[in-house]
Amino acid sequence: MPLNTQLIGKTYDEIEFAVERDRVNQFLDAIGDDTPVFRDPEAAKAAGYADQVAPPTFITVIQMMTSSQVVLDKELGLDYSRVVHGVQSYAYERPLVVGDVISATPRLTSIETRRSNEFLTIESEVHDANGELVLTARSTLISRGTGGP
Amino acid sequence: MTAQVDFDDVKVGDEIPVRSKVVKREDVKAYADASGDQNPLHQDDSFAQMVGFPGIIAHGMFTMAHLTSTLTGWVGDPAALKSVDVQFRAVVYMDETIEAGGRISELDPDARTAKLDVWVRLERDGVTEYPIKNSTAEVQLA
Repeated sequence: MPLNTQLIGKTYDEIEFAVERDRVNQFLDAIGDDTPVFRDPEAAKAAGYADQVAPPTFITVIQMMTSSQVVLDKELGLDYSRVVHGVQSYAYERPLVVGDVISATPRLTSIETRRSNEFLTIESEVHDANGELVLTARSTLISRGTGGP
Repeated sequence: MTAQVDFDDVKVGDEIPVRSKVVKREDVKAYADASGDQNPLHQDDSFAQMVGFPGIIAHGMFTMAHLTSTLTGWVGDPAALKSVDVQFRAVVYMDETIEAGGRISELDPDARTAKLDVWVRLERDGVTEYPIKNSTAEVQLA
């Protein structure tokens, strides 16, 4: 069944998230990146950062919370077992560091049908505690086989 | 900190050092826990088979993390990565070797930035598959 295109433009709840050291270290273990500015607070400070730097895709941790609001929106009618990740883009103003408290407000920006698939795009601007833009994330999820009649 | 790669030392067509990694089941499990993405497609072989795969597949974001580690490792400063735009085009199975790479496609001498075409590829049964292709990144060089 096609997705509910009436929801295009809908803004979801703001999610607040603290970038914690343990979480960054756990993420680095999983991706196998031992770069000193990611791993070591002293190396990060020596390089001019306030604390350990979170790697570029760490933001996926908060996106699991922002995107799930859209994915689980009953009015949208998405069957998550049909969903694959199609596109992911990030535009960075600065890297996240341990101690940052960030907030993200996801918005469903488009639903497009191509052949039998539907492509839904979710955008989030991520701001720090001072209200400064840190990064913009855009994800396209593919709902397989729901675009047909 | 600034980038460790000087703008004057690169030209269009240059490739960055390739980084390879064998995708292990325990790393994908660790990634599920670290990212919060507990989709059974990445953990449960019987579930993966039910939806048409021979076994579990890695998270797209796991593969993308290897690409961004390759980029920040090359440029030498995480702040130098200005943007990355990735398309996921093929799946990655356990014990496959993924290779991340990139090629400079455009240089801006005023901003001292470089645009790159980036990819992640693997060999499967004599065929090159691209889990990430038609993708780009932009970096600030020194």
